[in-house]
Amino acid sequence: MTFLRQALAILRKDLLIEWRGRSRLFSVLLFGVVTLLLFSFAVGPDGGALEENASGFLVLALLLSSTLALSESFRLEQEQRAIEGLLLVPVDPVALYYGKVTGNTLFLFLLGPLLMPIALGLYGVPAGPETLLRLLGVWGLAAAGLSAPGSLYAAMTSRLQSRDVLLPILLFPLLVPVLVAAVKAIDLLLSGDPMGQLRDWLLLLVAFDLIYWALCGILFPQAVEER
Amino acid sequence: MESPESASEVVAAKALGKRFGRRWALAHVDLVVRPGEAVLLAGANGSGKTTLLRLIAGLGQPTTGSLRIFGRDPGEERLGCRRRLSLVSHENYLYPPLTALETLRLWARLAGLALGDEELVRLLAEVELADRRDHRVGGFSAGMRKRLTLLRTRLEEPGLILLDEPLSALDAAGRTLVERWIGGFVAAGRTVIMASHAVERMSRVAHRGVLLDRGQVAWSGPAGEIPGRLEGHR
Amino acid sequence: MTLRRIPWEHWFGGAGLALLLIGSYIGLFVAPPERYMGEVQRIMYVHLPCAWVSMVCFTAAFASAIGSLWTGGKKWDGALVGAIEAGVVLNVLLLIQGIVWGRATWWEGTDKWWTWDVRLTTSLLMCLLFAGVLALRAFVEDRERKASWSAVATIVAYVDVPLVYFCVRWMRSLHQPQSSPETVSSLMVTPLRINSFAVLFIAIWFIARRARIELMRRQMDEVPLPRRLTPQESAGG
Repeated sequence: MTFLRQALAILRKDLLIEWRGRSRLFSVLLFGVVTLLLFSFAVGPDGGALEENASGFLVLALLLSSTLALSESFRLEQEQRAIEGLLLVPVDPVALYYGKVTGNTLFLFLLGPLLMPIALGLYGVPAGPETLLRLLGVWGLAAAGLSAPGSLYAAMTSRLQSRDVLLPILLFPLLVPVLVAAVKAIDLLLSGDPMGQLRDWLLLLVAFDLIYWALCGILFPQAVEER
Repeated sequence: MESPESASEVVAAKALGKRFGRRWALAHVDLVVRPGEAVLLAGANGSGKTTLLRLIAGLGQPTTGSLRIFGRDPGEERLGCRRRLSLVSHENYLYPPLTALETLRLWARLAGLALGDEELVRLLAEVELADRRDHRVGGFSAGMRKRLTLLRTRLEEPGLILLDEPLSALDAAGRTLVERWIGGFVAAGRTVIMASHAVERMSRVAHRGVLLDRGQVAWSGPAGEIPGRLEGHR
Repeated sequence: MTLRRIPWEHWFGGAGLALLLIGSYIGLFVAPPERYMGEVQRIMYVHLPCAWVSMVCFTAAFASAIGSLWTGGKKWDGALVGAIEAGVVLNVLLLIQGIVWGRATWWEGTDKWWTWDVRLTTSLLMCLLFAGVLALRAFVEDRERKASWSAVATIVAYVDVPLVYFCVRWMRSLHQPQSSPETVSSLMVTPLRINSFAVLFIAIWFIARRARIELMRRQMDEVPLPRRLTPQESAGG
């Protein structure tokens, strides 16, 4: 009971802070849009190439925006060592982790409905409302996968000088399965799935989510408690 | 689960030592604090006051020696020990985007205290922040932040209160308030360990003084003698 | 002058180097050339051992990480950093060998320098995953924190390896059958086995040396407790 109550209180606090700092969501979003645009410029205005790679560009833009959001989510915890204040209340560090990771997942997920229509419109990929909903489902799984190790690593790197370099270095190779699975799944949703491969990719995403939500929760106390 | 010794010793440190890198921040510290005692830690900057308070709060583990809080090992039973103590440190533990009232609500909710807004505002009034209840903490002055953070000691009513420089950043009224609080804590039978440079003031509310020098206990005795001790060696 | 006792790991090192010479001699001069790929295929005698042993190293790092978190013991961290460094070095070697092998066979006459082969790609990602752990270590000063954070990062990275493997495998359905000593002729098996043990021994040598260095660095920090201040010296006296 204490565990759930504390996790929810942390989540509530994070959502409130996000709401207070709406400009943060806006700037992360803007970053995503700029990235999407850069891909179009890099590939050239030739519609074919853009449409073909739409899923890859979309997930990449989301992934790049995500690291910004993740490192930001622990900046406030470190600024006045608020996280230490939480641990002293005492908050169970595992509850703290699940509160943070849920908040981060929601925040990253929110990028989906905002960036996806822009990407699909920009790259000229036709998608009905139903497809869009399914895409969001895939993105939800991916967002959960991103934020599980993301929150753990952000908690560690936020204490270091070189956090901005270190977080992507640690996170990007780790997230390759999420990236590939999400891109493939979105691809199959957009252009049809004759071989029935969608299930496998979704399974990979779910497996990643389950493994890392469990594992990082166990490891989080080691990352935040002093030795 | 309370061991028999916990009744007589709130803090029991034996040969306590803490090393950071190649520097011993604490060494050979033997300290026993009994329930209801108010202990003043004095000493120059870097003499180990903060390190000692942090170790007692379970923020970091001793390199040598043993430490018991209420008869428990703060490194092993972190939650159990921390539930019974409160630390006010140099850091304010605040989130700038939250208001004063929201901050208190968060702490109360996390601690599982069923306190209504009315009670929380009453607490804010005690530190003269009631009219600022809906102002964001980010806009507070250092003294106001300190006052808000000090309320942590009032929320949970812990058995052991650790204060690291409780008077810093406070104005005259704030300092008097803290002194009064400490008196109240002691009268209520709670244990207080405070580290301060304002030895003249704090020795009036403390029972016992402990002088730290280069991480070691240099002297321990009645708090009233501390100012003289420090004076003689300046 | 008395003879200093030789640390145990040097025996591994010496045996490893000797075996490597023997295995490579057999591989280069005794074993028959491969039917399809010819002489170039002899690179296999170092390539596969590197691949196997780097995986062994990462597994050892994973085990050390668990030991480090479980017991809080200081020796584990040395083994962990040694194993990761050895694994990363072997991994880089195997990537280079893979490229050389590919250039000389499948991609001969083309401009290709890389193929998204399952095992090669997984190795590349594994290399990056564990190099990240080393990068993290480089930025953490406090030794205790360094030890616990590297252990956390190692566990997180290691668990990702099977996921990466399946992901790359499904991404590229075309791949070669797994190479193992059973699928090649017996004259090729001998040098492969010898070299595998050779590389394993050399890795153990390296890891043990590295762990010793880490332990010595720790010991350098372990300055003795300052002596008790006498009442005359101290501020309160």
